[in-house]
Amino acid sequence: MSVGLSEPQKVWSAEDVSISDVLNALGDIRGKFARDEAHDDHVHPRSCVMTLIGVAPTEADEVSAMRTAELIGTQHPALAIVIREAPSMRGHLDASITTQIQRPQIACPTECEIITLHVRGGAAEHLAALVDPLLVSGVPTYLWWLGTPPFGHKELLDALRVCDGLVVDSARFEEPFRTFRGLSRLLKVAHHRLGLADMQWSRLRPWRETVAQFFTPVERRDLLSGIAEVGIDYAGEGRGNRIAAALLTGWMAAALGWKLRRAAAGGGGVVVAHYDAGSRMVEVDFRSVQKGHLAPGEVGAVRIAGASSGTTFRLSVFHDPDRKAAPPDAAYRTTHPTEGEDDAGFELAQRRAEWHRDVLHENLDSFHHMATGEMPGESRPRSPVVVNRERRRPDSDRVLLTLIEIGETAPLRHVQQLEQEDDAALLLDLLSTGTHDEVYNRSLAAAAALIEKF
Amino acid sequence: MKLEEAPNPLAEGLHDYRIADPAVMVIFGATGDLAGRKLLPALYNLAKQRSLPAGFAVVGLATTPMTDQAFKQMASDKIHQFSRTQPIDDRVLAAFLDMLSYMTVPSPDFKALGQRLQELDNSNHIPGNRVFYLATPPPTYHLIISQIEAAGLHAGNGWKRIVIEKPFGTDLDSARELTQTLHKVFSEDSVYRIDHYLGKETVQNILAFRFANTIFEPVWNANLIDSVQITIAEELGIENRGLYYDHAGALRDIIQNHGLQLVALTAMEPPLAFEANAVRDEKVKVLRSIRPLIGEDIEQSAVRGQYTSGWVLGEKVVGYREEKNVAPDSQTETFAALRLFIDNWRWAGVPFYVRAGKRQPKRITEIRIQFKRPPHLTFGREAMKEVDPNAITLRIQPEEGISLKFGAKVPSAGLRIRSVTMDFQYMTSFLVEAPEAYERLLLDCMIGDPTLFTRADEVEAAWSLVDPIEDAWRNGRPPLETYPGGTWGPPSAARLLQQDGREWHRP
Repeated sequence: MSVGLSEPQKVWSAEDVSISDVLNALGDIRGKFARDEAHDDHVHPRSCVMTLIGVAPTEADEVSAMRTAELIGTQHPALAIVIREAPSMRGHLDASITTQIQRPQIACPTECEIITLHVRGGAAEHLAALVDPLLVSGVPTYLWWLGTPPFGHKELLDALRVCDGLVVDSARFEEPFRTFRGLSRLLKVAHHRLGLADMQWSRLRPWRETVAQFFTPVERRDLLSGIAEVGIDYAGEGRGNRIAAALLTGWMAAALGWKLRRAAAGGGGVVVAHYDAGSRMVEVDFRSVQKGHLAPGEVGAVRIAGASSGTTFRLSVFHDPDRKAAPPDAAYRTTHPTEGEDDAGFELAQRRAEWHRDVLHENLDSFHHMATGEMPGESRPRSPVVVNRERRRPDSDRVLLTLIEIGETAPLRHVQQLEQEDDAALLLDLLSTGTHDEVYNRSLAAAAALIEKF
Repeated sequence: MKLEEAPNPLAEGLHDYRIADPAVMVIFGATGDLAGRKLLPALYNLAKQRSLPAGFAVVGLATTPMTDQAFKQMASDKIHQFSRTQPIDDRVLAAFLDMLSYMTVPSPDFKALGQRLQELDNSNHIPGNRVFYLATPPPTYHLIISQIEAAGLHAGNGWKRIVIEKPFGTDLDSARELTQTLHKVFSEDSVYRIDHYLGKETVQNILAFRFANTIFEPVWNANLIDSVQITIAEELGIENRGLYYDHAGALRDIIQNHGLQLVALTAMEPPLAFEANAVRDEKVKVLRSIRPLIGEDIEQSAVRGQYTSGWVLGEKVVGYREEKNVAPDSQTETFAALRLFIDNWRWAGVPFYVRAGKRQPKRITEIRIQFKRPPHLTFGREAMKEVDPNAITLRIQPEEGISLKFGAKVPSAGLRIRSVTMDFQYMTSFLVEAPEAYERLLLDCMIGDPTLFTRADEVEAAWSLVDPIEDAWRNGRPPLETYPGGTWGPPSAARLLQQDGREWHRP
């Protein structure tokens, strides 16, 4: 279906105005659009899918939010409101309205509106009062908080009052370890209708799909109760980079009813956790890997191994596997053949060797707490945590390689291409199904329980 | 709970991600038009969405000798040409092509095919699951099915499913014969009769519109509905399908399947659940409740026409008899219209007008529910003279959506009411793109969900309605009329409604 799409055009802007002025301008713009497009004496109804409020802490975030809103607008009529606090500006509220018109070949034209608000002073702390009059009635309102939301602050709860869902990206949090804990507590204090969506959770979707797919055939369902080991590689070091790995683990634990018994983390980015799965224990290991193509915090591989009814199995999923890399220790591999890319045997040995160092490092945390009186978990020197605004980057060439080994047969390879992960695509993915995701909520709680142990 | 009924706990919350078991899809007629235009591009798009499980494999079969490599090249070319999503992702395509292999139809039997399937089972961890897709002309169905049976490919571990394309027979007898042949080898649960129309999002939306809302169902009956009009119009002629079409005609090609399916979906009672047998049971009840047209009813309630030369979308077009592979004295109808009555409590007395034709002014498929006029003219005759009765229009294609027509006061000092339309368009209201019908249906088949496939009794009920009309038409009752290309059918089509004091809605 061909679509005629106009370039986004700033059609109104004013400094030091009130929300009433913005509403009047919006009414004029909508009226003009309806009259201009009503060639057949029949004014077409306005079409709107949602109100998206983007809170941008920085100018760069504002540009990013505008671009994402425009991209969404190319496909779906929506009202977007982008808000940035600008303490240095002269008035209390500067506003502008940008519109973009779609003219599908076989459907009525639609108009997307992006309202930009620069606020200063008390208004910035009362977002709900600011945006409420602008919201489109009858369609969901989503609050997309770029950067790090102020969890635990009244300002955020006030903004959430008028929203159906909050969208965050836990891969972009400053101080992710602390902020993630705030995120996990939010559902307990927010209103009951609030949905919570995390773009990082969306990025993990291919991993969840691939793991779920392995266990889908009825004859493999028994293997779920035979899982003994889970290994997750993640990029970067430090607990702030283990959020995605913890979410994946939390997802499995919540879905399969595993209870966390103990966990220890240590230097080199290694984490070992033990879950009680009823009649057996499941060991979950995180390993930090340095791979150029992975952003800090990104998951690089997931391995699940176990045995059921006398049959062993191993599922290995790799993100952009680097097949050119030489095995780290050829002699070791001779003793423990691991079929090319699957270096789980090597990983196991490395993990055992680091175990004592991990335990020591874990204890260092409490030693430091006892010595300084500071909060455990936050007080330990951050090094080597690497967290910055560049932790996510555009991906254009992404592959998941799955290796399946059941019994003694040769590994079955399966290659899948991952879609490009720009913010607009991830937001659409999240918002198309709504933000009320019980599985995410459960996984978040289980992940939070795990990272509390780091 | 039995193991096979236990859901996969890890699949919970993966919205729209429907996971199929590893299987081999055997495509008979793999070098043909259907495979190239629809099946291979649909499978590629499923791979792109990561919906094909690890181990999934396709074995293409046809009579043309070809190597695996040549088949993969052909598949690649067709995918580049016909895929819904563009540009083609080379890495997805490469991974998908790795799943393909080709065999020249083995003779004298399918044992070599059986060996190939066994090898794939072993290498790909496939527990014997098979989809046999018959993308071949219907006359080959019997032979292929009997060969599958002879080679024992229908037996053993895992599930075995067979997909056949419409037409499911050419009349009631041939449809029953086909079903008998299928049932010798496959149970009805394993037979997937594909009518791609049912895979369209907007067709499924008829059910969502009716049964996910409370406000429409109370008025969805003879108390308030005056009539229902279903239009399936194409601006195209028969293109290169003369050989097939001249033996089929609009009644068999469109109304017997698409047309009656739309009647059934519009008129059916709420099913207990959106589940295969519950939905299909209700559809069959509607088809069986349609009053058969027999004897003189046919002349009063059925119209047929054939297009002559004319103008369509500003282009001059030739008449049907001048088309390639059409007999110069052909009596085949390219337009058919029926007036049907559903003899049940809900629909007693409500006419369903169904029309389908080629070389119509435009391409459109829609269902129009026309309501009765208000029982009393509160505002007087003068104020209401520009007001049409309320109507709900469900547009299937091309502008998928729903519109509601109602009266509103014209802004003025006086009191004048005019009809206005409230429009809803799918494309502007959702954040996702609809999949192609074959993608949905292929995945449904792999998952084992036959809800959107046609069951044997549906097919037979539809043929039971169509056969007497076909017989009468073949005997020249009533005589074939003509209509210029680019018009809404022959004059009798308009008269069909005029005799009831109604007229066709202009789509």
